[in-house]
Amino acid sequence: MNCMNNPAVRRYLWRFLATMLLYIAFLVLAVWIFVHYHPAGPLAWLLAFLPALGIIAQIAAFGMYLSEEKDEFMRNLQIQALLWGIGATLSVTVTWGFLESFVHLRHMDLILVYPLYCVLSGLALGIQQMRYR
Amino acid sequence: MEREIEDSALSRYKKRMFILVVVLALLSQLVFWEFIRHHPTGVLAYLLAVLPALPFIGIMATYALYIAELRDELVRTVVKTSLLWSIVATLSATTLWGFLELLANAPHLQPLLVLPIFGIFLGIATALVNRRYE
Repeated sequence: MNCMNNPAVRRYLWRFLATMLLYIAFLVLAVWIFVHYHPAGPLAWLLAFLPALGIIAQIAAFGMYLSEEKDEFMRNLQIQALLWGIGATLSVTVTWGFLESFVHLRHMDLILVYPLYCVLSGLALGIQQMRYR
Repeated sequence: MEREIEDSALSRYKKRMFILVVVLALLSQLVFWEFIRHHPTGVLAYLLAVLPALPFIGIMATYALYIAELRDELVRTVVKTSLLWSIVATLSATTLWGFLELLANAPHLQPLLVLPIFGIFLGIATALVNRRYE
């Protein structure tokens, strides 16, 4: 089945595109202000929140897709992949954390947790789909 | 019948958790002691540093087994919904803090803290979702 025929997927892709553009716009704006005006204090914190809002909107868009998906099988597959993804992500962060503490491995920026989660959930979804093929 | 299955799943989960927490305590002690007394280096240091992470991974696997053993659809829905909300909260929190670290020079947060943060959010989400389904 072509997933583009699914209205929930179509709506999700549009929302994903919109939130991605929002993220890029906020990121460029925040970096530009930091480079040119070097803000400090609460203003700096507020500006740093801006690009994060784009990512949070992306997560919300996926949540909306899950609640709108009518195909029970597809929804379960996605949820299982999300759960495997968080298990794998937390395993990586815990292992990295201990390596950071004991052998002074390079600090893992927390900003990497979300992309890591996306990659691992994507892998989990691929494996799940292969399993049910 | 379903109640009995749920109860036995929960008691198995608690038993496994107890064993893993004991293993975690022992391994952490052992690794701390090794690093303080013998200052290992190279591959051995890496292997030793990874050891305390294994029980944590085991704890997550135990929770996954507990979900798989659940038969009551309502309990399963509550657990899965709580997990999904805690994923959203954890990813939002780490992303927010990540940008604060990157742009506003906020203090670095250890990646080791992501799991306890997730655990706290899971506790809050479970309480809220349970209240909703009461």
